[in-house]
Formats: sequence, structure tokens, C-alpha cells
Amino acid sequence: MSECTNCFSSRTCPSADKPLEAFIRSLPMETSHHRTEGQSTKCGFGLQGVCCRLCANGPCRITPKAPRGICGADADTIVARNFLRAVACGSGCYIHIVENTAKNLKNTALAKGKIRSEESLYRLAKELGIDGEDVYDLAVKVADEVLADLYKPDDVQMELIEKLAYSPRLEAWKKLGIMPGGSKSEVFSGVVKCSTNLNSDPMDMLVHCLKLGISTGVYGLMLTNLLNDILLGEPEIRFAPVGLNVIDPDYINIMITGHQHSMFTYIQDRLLEEDVVAKAKAAGAKGFKLVGCTCVGQDLQLRGAHYTEIFDGHAGNNYTSEAILATGAIDGVLSEFNCTLPGIEPICDELMIKQICIDDVAKKKNAELIPFNFDTRKEDGDRIIDELIEAYKNRRGKVKMNLLPEHGNKNTLTGVSELSLKKFLGDSWKPLIDLIVSGKIKGVAGVVGCSSVAYGHDTLTVALTKELIAKDIIVLSAGCSSGGIENCGLMTPEAAELAGPGLKEVCKTLGIPPVLNFGPCLAIGRLEMVATELAKEIGVDIPQLPLVLSAAQWLEEQALADGCFGLALGLPLHLGVPPFITGSQLVTKVLTEDMKDLTGGQVIVDADAKSAAEKLEAIILEKRSALNI
Amino acid sequence: MKRIFIDAHKCDGCMSCSIACMNAHREDGGDSVYTLDLTDPKNQSRNFIKKNPTGGYIPLFCRHCDDPDCANACMSGALKKDLATGLVKYEKEKCAGCYMCVMNCRYGIPQPDTSLHYMVKCDFCEGKDGPSCVKACPKEAIYVKEV
Repeated sequence: MSECTNCFSSRTCPSADKPLEAFIRSLPMETSHHRTEGQSTKCGFGLQGVCCRLCANGPCRITPKAPRGICGADADTIVARNFLRAVACGSGCYIHIVENTAKNLKNTALAKGKIRSEESLYRLAKELGIDGEDVYDLAVKVADEVLADLYKPDDVQMELIEKLAYSPRLEAWKKLGIMPGGSKSEVFSGVVKCSTNLNSDPMDMLVHCLKLGISTGVYGLMLTNLLNDILLGEPEIRFAPVGLNVIDPDYINIMITGHQHSMFTYIQDRLLEEDVVAKAKAAGAKGFKLVGCTCVGQDLQLRGAHYTEIFDGHAGNNYTSEAILATGAIDGVLSEFNCTLPGIEPICDELMIKQICIDDVAKKKNAELIPFNFDTRKEDGDRIIDELIEAYKNRRGKVKMNLLPEHGNKNTLTGVSELSLKKFLGDSWKPLIDLIVSGKIKGVAGVVGCSSVAYGHDTLTVALTKELIAKDIIVLSAGCSSGGIENCGLMTPEAAELAGPGLKEVCKTLGIPPVLNFGPCLAIGRLEMVATELAKEIGVDIPQLPLVLSAAQWLEEQALADGCFGLALGLPLHLGVPPFITGSQLVTKVLTEDMKDLTGGQVIVDADAKSAAEKLEAIILEKRSALNI
Repeated sequence: MKRIFIDAHKCDGCMSCSIACMNAHREDGGDSVYTLDLTDPKNQSRNFIKKNPTGGYIPLFCRHCDDPDCANACMSGALKKDLATGLVKYEKEKCAGCYMCVMNCRYGIPQPDTSLHYMVKCDFCEGKDGPSCVKACPKEAIYVKEV
């Protein structure tokens, strides 16, 4: 009997973005939203983190009748090992990003290339105590110092962290013995610890997670932003279009995915040069446009003031990528990192979309690999451009357009950073602090991280955000959460109507939305800088601030590394689903309770938007009263 | 009358059925599988997946037999065949804990409970919308059929 292998579920997961949900449901092709149904039965051992397949005796699973694996590892060891492995991988991802960013800054400076923000360079160099003969020499030295720290052994503490992190936090970390050694080595020792029959001490492994969190946060997140500011220009607050409406089919459209914006600097400038535009015109297009998707799109949107001509706008987050391609108006995907879903491959095949990958760590099966190499960037860039023009010529006319021009909105506030926000407030944090003290803004919530689909696309993120703003808690977002929240209109000034009376008044007076868009997940580092600045201004430590974090729809290992940074900062961290830890009572207790006495942080797991918002509000109120406000 | 049927060749041995069973019968009031205590012996599964020495797995589920060995052996009357539903039902209050059911079932389904006072066996998740094990099977190796 033959089995049908080509059909796919006609049911899709719900999305907070209703027009997108309807669009995806109507597509003649399968997406992640369709596959959630077929994957709806989850393995209970996997969910609880008590499946171990580290050796050939496995997989071993913990049950009441089999409380230890064959080797003797109990639930606590297995859970901690699985968790550390995930955090180490996630940290490795972010450290890869900062390493490449530092290398790109160095190479650009050595070639005396374009430094878009000298001001950012001087500011960072001053903070790090680095002098240079000229702007290029200074950039090389800054990049070298970052790289030198990343490459230190794990028993040698990194140096720049002393200048970048907030001193009360540094003190707390030193007291706990969680100051990280070289970032790459910490990832290395992390993965060694959780290999077969090595570390079995759950506490030691959790402590290692905190080290990785700090290294990820200060280097992978904070520094990547600061280095990118130098190369790509600082974020400026402005209004921009978001959603599928940004796609203009008259252009050769390139969807960009990844996290390493500095890899695109050359090509995004080149695409606007006369000879390249002429080639596009000869092929029948008006020119080239970059269509933002995933975090690199968010980063481009954040810095969009410098790229108004080449950048169409941010179309959507990770789980919108398949829909963006399904419009038929994308001619090529240029990817360099996650979240480039494998699910885009069959869609690219079907719609004759050229896939080019410029970093082999994220090599896609169907993509042509043209690794980014600074020395050959010109030849490689031209090759990429020619391939994209070829794809445009081959596919246009043959592929049906299925646009969604009414999707998203045209006035999402973007470009918010620790610098642009302070500038907006009149070069001072005092106005924001005054609003918090007065109670008009009860507190601050960072709704960050990814988007997932297994339990609904952006459903919890958006519902939680609405609950928080209705409670007069201002939301700052960074990551794919931003992509969902902005497409649902919560970053337009009109969204002020959804806020509680205090926050609504603030938004209306200032003409801002109740959710401020910091862009990519990397900008969680910027939120940390905002937190530090606020804490400094008030003269308290970060855990004392009426500030909470939520990675409501955390998806991947990188989010877990970010989460460990949040815990190390001493912040309450809400998650919609547990990170595969509940099989261990010890690990669960340490992360959800005992952490409060260690760093001040705590994990709160709640899949319900309303009760999660209530819990976060209660914490904010508790912190307010401790500050006597 | 409904029964659980087994397609043993489809079973991957994932034990999702066992977890679902434990979760459906847990006594702590929780319902999320995330919070099911997998180290607590009180959480007993009423179904079993055994490795088949010749390859594959043997899923063992209560068949609620027409001529039930367990009920036939039960002297206290705690186990009875319900002719209306076809289920072999258990009344804990009547159970003497003699474990004749455990010894007599040819499929090895009834088990002593952890306190060694009672027995535990499939109740077809009565009161729920069908057996939890069947709903949890990702391979449709077990299914409910009208007989």
C-alpha cells in the first residue's frame, strides 16, 4: 500500500498576528506553523530533561522504577548536564558572533575602510582605557583587546569585563567565584564537563552556567552591539514600516537572516552603487532591496536611519521567514547564522529562490556557500550580486506573487538604544526615573528572546506584553519577540490606548508607544546597559530595580545563555515553558528559588499571560516598596 | 464497548504512554507533565513497554478481558467485569491485597501498589475523554476500537 508523503496538515498553529495566521493557513506549501500539529505529542522524558544519550548504554530515562541511568547518573546529574550543554552551545553561538564582529572591525580598520561612527569608537575606547594614534589604530586596538579576552584560557580572568560591568555586580560575581575566564575556553570547559562520565555535580554545572551567562552577556551581547555601532552607525529613533507590506516586488529582493550584521556592510553599500543598480535595471528591476528577517533584520531596522535607501524594513521574525518567502517576491536569501530555519529550503526550491550562505557555521543544505572573507569581499560580493540577479531573471514571471500588502504597519517606533533613549529623554535618565518614582510607570519589563510556534506563534509574548502595559509597566523588547510585537502594532504610538492610565499619559505626552523596540536579541545587552545606567543614577544594585525580564517564548540554546546572564544580573526571569529542567527537583529549586540568595535572580515559569503578568507585577511592587517608592 | 488495541510493530518504545498513564493517575493534583515527579515510586504506570527479545517492543496494556483472569481470581470481589461498559473495574475498598490478580493475569497487568496494600490497574481513564495513553502515543501503536 502506498502512503501519501506529500500532503501536509491543513491546520496551523495560532499566531498573535491574525492576518499572518490567515495568510499562512492559506499557503499552498508547508511551514513550521503546519508542522506543529504533527509534532504535538512531546516526549515526557525530554520535556523534563531526564533523557540521557551521552553514551552507548543509553538513551537512559528516569522513571520511578529506574531512578538512575545505567552509569548511575540520577535525575539531578542528567538534567544539569543537559542544561549546561545547552547553555554552553548557546554561549558559543554568541561568542562566535562577537569574535567575527571584532575581526570585521579590525580588518576594516586595517584596510582604512568605513568607520560609520567615530563617536562610538572614541566612547568605547575611553571606557576601556585604550588610546590610539588615529581612528584606525584605535579601532584595531579595541578589536584586539576584545579578541585577546575571548582567547584567554579559562583560568585567566577576562579584563574588559572589569570596565564594562557594573561594579556592585562585579563584586557579587567575584564573591560567588563566577567571574569567567576567556569566553571561548569557558564554552570549551563547559562542553567537556557535560560529556560522558565527567562532571556529575549539578551545583558545579549550574555555577558554570552562570559563568557562561556573564561571558555571553558582557561579550556576546553588550560588546557586539558596541562594536557594531562603530562599524554600522548608532541607532537613531525614528518611525519605520514593518511586516510583509515592506516587500516591494519591483526590486530584486534579498531576505537577510542571521545575527552578524557586520558581515553585510560591504555588500549593502555595494548594492547601491551605480554599476550594480544598472545591472539590476538591465535585468528589469528598479534596483536592490534588503528585506529584514530575524535578528540581523532587526539590527538593520535599529540602525535604519543610516540605510533608508537599501533597507525596505523588517518583515518579520524567525517564524515569519517562511511566509516572507511564500510571497514570491523574494529572489534570494543571504544568511549567516540562526535563525535560518531548515523549513525555508523546500520553499526556496519550489519558488526558485537562491540561497547563499556566508558563514559555514550556518550552512544551509541547499545554499551555495560563499564564506565571508574580508580580503576577497569585493570579488565575493560581486559574485553574490550576479547570482542574485540571475535568480531574479530566472524566476520572475514563472513564480506567482502572493503578496500581503496590508500586513504590519507603517509607523513602528524603532532605533531605541541605551544612547538614543537617553538622548530622547533630554540627555538624562532623570525623567524616566521620575516617572517610575511617581508611579506613572510602575516598572520596566524586558520582553526579550525568541519566538516559538509549538504553543502558538508570538501568542504568549504579545498577550503578556498587553497585560504588562495595561499594568503601567513599560516594556522594552529585544529579539524575535520584537518582530512579533511590532507586527501586532504594539510599537506604534496608537498602542498607547492599550496601556494603563499612567503609562498611557506618558506615551501620549511623548508621542511614543508603550513598548520600546531595541531590535535584535543582541540588544538584550543594551537593556543591561539601560539597567546599569538607571541603577548607577539611583545608586543601587541592579537586582534592586523594579525591573523584570521575560523570555516568554524562548526557543533556543542562545536564549538559555542569555537567561543565565539575566540570572547573574540578579533579575527575575519569566519563561513560558521550562528549559527541560523539571525532572530534577534540585536544579528546579536552585533556578527558581535558591538563586535569589545567590545573585538575586530567579526563574519564573508560567505559560499563562495573565498570571505571569501578575507575578511580575508583584515582584515590581515588592522592589518598589524596598526602594521606598 | 471500547477496547485498547495494539499494533506492536508501530511501537518505538518511547514510553509516552507510560508517562501519560502516570500523569493521569497522579495524586498530587498536578496535571502538567512537566511537574510529574519521575523519581516518586508512587507514580506507577499501569501499562508497560517491554523489549521483545526478537526485536521491537511489546506494549502491555490491560485488555479488560471478556473472561478476566484477575477478576476470576479475586476473592474479595474488588475486581469485577462490568457487563455494560465491558471494563474490568476495581473497588479499592474491597481489596484485601492478596494479589491473586497479580499472579493470575496472563499479561502481567495488575501490580501491587507501593504501599503493598492495594493493586493498581488500568481504569480506561474513566471520567476522562478516552484513555490518556492512547492520546499520548505519537505512533498510533495503540488505539481505541469499538468491539
